Amino acid sequence: MAEDLYPIAILIDELKSEDVALRLNAIRRLSTIALALGPSRARDDLIPFLQESLDDEDEVLLALADELGKNFEDYLGGREYAHLLLGPLENLAAVEETLVRDKATESISKIVAVLTPDQTEQYAVPLLRKLSTGEWFTSRISSASLYAPIYPRASEASKEEIRRLYAAIAQDDTPMVRRAAAKHLGEFAKKLSKEHVLSDALAIYIRLSIDEQDSVRLLTVEDLIAIAEQMAPHQVKEHLLGSIRQTYQDKSWRVRYMVANTFVKLAEAVGPDIVRDELVAAYVMLLKDNEAEVRTAGAGQIPGFAKLIPPETILSRLLPYQSQHVRAALGGQITGLAPLLGKEATIEHLLPLFLHLLKDEFPDVRLNIISKLEQVNNVIGIDLLSQSLLPAIVDLAEDKQWRVRQAIIEYIPLLATQLGVSFFDEQLGSLCMSWLGDNVYSIREAATVNLKRLTDVFGPEWANNTIVPKVLQMGSHPNYLYRMTTVFAITTIAPSLSPEVIQGAVLQTVLTLVDDPIPNIRFNVAKSLEVLAATLLESGPMGQEVIQRTIVPVVETLKEDTDADVRYFASRALEHTLGLETIGR
Amino acid sequence: MPSDLDKQIEQLKRCEPISETQVKELCIKAREILVEEGNVQYVDAPVTICGDIHGQFFDLLELFKVGRFCPDANYLFMGDFVDRGFYSVETFLLLLAFKVRYPDRITLIRGNHESRQITQVYGFYDECQRKYGSANVWRYCCEVFDYLALAAVVDGRVFCVHGGLSPNVETVDQIRAIDRKQEVPHDGAMCDLLWSDPDDIKGWGLSPRGAGFLFGSDIVKSFSHTNRIDLIARAHQLAMEGYKLMFDRMIVTVWSAPNYCYRCGNVASILELDENLQQEYKVFQHAPTDTRSIPAKRPPPQYFL
Repeated sequence: MAEDLYPIAILIDELKSEDVALRLNAIRRLSTIALALGPSRARDDLIPFLQESLDDEDEVLLALADELGKNFEDYLGGREYAHLLLGPLENLAAVEETLVRDKATESISKIVAVLTPDQTEQYAVPLLRKLSTGEWFTSRISSASLYAPIYPRASEASKEEIRRLYAAIAQDDTPMVRRAAAKHLGEFAKKLSKEHVLSDALAIYIRLSIDEQDSVRLLTVEDLIAIAEQMAPHQVKEHLLGSIRQTYQDKSWRVRYMVANTFVKLAEAVGPDIVRDELVAAYVMLLKDNEAEVRTAGAGQIPGFAKLIPPETILSRLLPYQSQHVRAALGGQITGLAPLLGKEATIEHLLPLFLHLLKDEFPDVRLNIISKLEQVNNVIGIDLLSQSLLPAIVDLAEDKQWRVRQAIIEYIPLLATQLGVSFFDEQLGSLCMSWLGDNVYSIREAATVNLKRLTDVFGPEWANNTIVPKVLQMGSHPNYLYRMTTVFAITTIAPSLSPEVIQGAVLQTVLTLVDDPIPNIRFNVAKSLEVLAATLLESGPMGQEVIQRTIVPVVETLKEDTDADVRYFASRALEHTLGLETIGR
Repeated sequence: MPSDLDKQIEQLKRCEPISETQVKELCIKAREILVEEGNVQYVDAPVTICGDIHGQFFDLLELFKVGRFCPDANYLFMGDFVDRGFYSVETFLLLLAFKVRYPDRITLIRGNHESRQITQVYGFYDECQRKYGSANVWRYCCEVFDYLALAAVVDGRVFCVHGGLSPNVETVDQIRAIDRKQEVPHDGAMCDLLWSDPDDIKGWGLSPRGAGFLFGSDIVKSFSHTNRIDLIARAHQLAMEGYKLMFDRMIVTVWSAPNYCYRCGNVASILELDENLQQEYKVFQHAPTDTRSIPAKRPPPQYFL
């Protein structure tokens, strides 16, 4: 028995230790201590000890507040003793450190949930009263978060007192307390009956919403939403309209930011009439706000808000805006409006807007629009879209931002399928070729991938006549990085070309680059020959002969190159080429 | 063997660090290659010259997207791979893996941040501790730093160095005589090459950095003349436009960390020298913010516990 208790003795010693780490460790194993002590000693010795030993480091107190909330009543003999935990937690809820207080009130809320009505009346309500009227403001702050859990469990008489207590903390002299009251009013209001919302919560809200401190006022935006949700539309109109107006016109941008950031929730809470008569105008104001943060937060709410208002209103009120921040945010969101508006309205109203935004001076706006055009396709059809967008696309193809150019390139094959060969060649053919010489590598790469996809659309014959000559021409560029584009393009497109074309001009061009002075070209030639061989192999015996007669000897030469990387990629190609060829036989 | 390394390169390109054992092996191989290089490494044109990267991994990827990845394009990085950015580990290891895999395609020279003392203050040491739980990786990397070349010469005409010139160095051959395999000293030629800055003065001046010197156009002119150099390319100083030509285009600062420290708002550049030593500066911006250019707040990754 003594041996069993030995570890416990150590833990209790640790609880009293000088070393913070040891005390912390002991607190973390508090349940073990309580279990060993048994319910009766845990109640009589441990709890009073904990209540007295509260003068400790915040870290230890935080751990204690946490442990006491983890069903600790089980170690005291069950729920009927749960109220005993409120003692130490009440003290913890009054300390200076916010983290400790928050943890303590969190644990108190958990304990309140298991109390009987008697216990609630006898212990929880007095606790709430003491905290709410505590001398030091920290306990009054902590009290605010306990109203919502305790109120529904209290007797009618106590409920009345509790409502009065809340009104009192909402008028506290200390702004921090009023801030806590504003922060928790919403959840408290949700526990009130409808008439008490009108008689009590409303008045509390209204007072807080005109607090002199903007840090208090900004927290009341959530309260406004919670209270409006509890009311019928006509009551909102009667009681809250003034407050709504005042909050979105608040002189502090932080308050307006809160409104802008929760605008959809607010709109849902107040009902369609107020949205139409009041909030559309309010929203437009927020989009034009002097502060960029407010405008951006507002723009982020566009898709949600658009669902709550009729399409005509979107077009007439929301779309004319000025700030580049708003335009950038809208650029990302506005294509989402197309499905909501339907085909006719999109063509009539949105399309001109897209064209306008595609010319925006701010690259993010342009990019956001292009990258989401897909959504608009689905509504009005690519046919119409491609025709109206063509001039804009030609402009953007030379955009300064390479990511804008890239977005355009990725859009090209889709356009190609709609436009047909002759129209495409005429309008976009030279553009597609010019990207091959772009000074950004990613664009040159995207250009070659684009050519491959175009070949898949228009067929190898077209590629042979249109693409191949231009690609091969790049092979004599004075700069190795651009000559490499030829090799890379050939490698990419080859699988889509006919064997005849490969055996002809394509192979010839690659072979002229075998003697290139720059090793980077030579090892890419080796890689390219590997791919060409694979494609030729599929074309039957003719292809095999070309491999044997032309490709293999060349790669053999490259295998003896002066450069190590050329030798490496040549031997790899040789292994693969020969390997495939063996399989072919 | 190469295939293991190829896998590590792919992994690092995704910004995922390789294991401590792999780092150790990579660093040993890197040292074997670097020890064979001279203090002033000969480099053949064409080559793309890059300045400070400072652990801005996603901006390094942006650089490669503009300039083409190694080994297809040849690269010369002029130091300051680590510190300040959030991904010094991945940045340096990727460059080092390229070096080991394609030694003839990429050249790395030493910057003033490739030093034990500096990395303990400016972030690389802490990042290694955080990502690997010990300082081993930092130690392996620092041993590699000691082997990095101090300068490079492209086709005998373009002299590349991290900081600048030194009053103790009149000819490139004098640099070859330095015993470089050591921590960067507080003064002397080796220190100056990594710390000095050009300035609109005559002759030599005291550097406000507390190490290295300021040097004027006359110094650049006489050094270039003596060594038959057309251009000195260096890094070490933020250039808001990505690069800055000075002294009649005799010297250029190339800066390759866009939006430096994720807040300076500058653009970056690389200098492409083609096979005829024609200069083309390619300017680029920082990676779009929706990629992981700045890590979200999250618990430190427990990579290899």
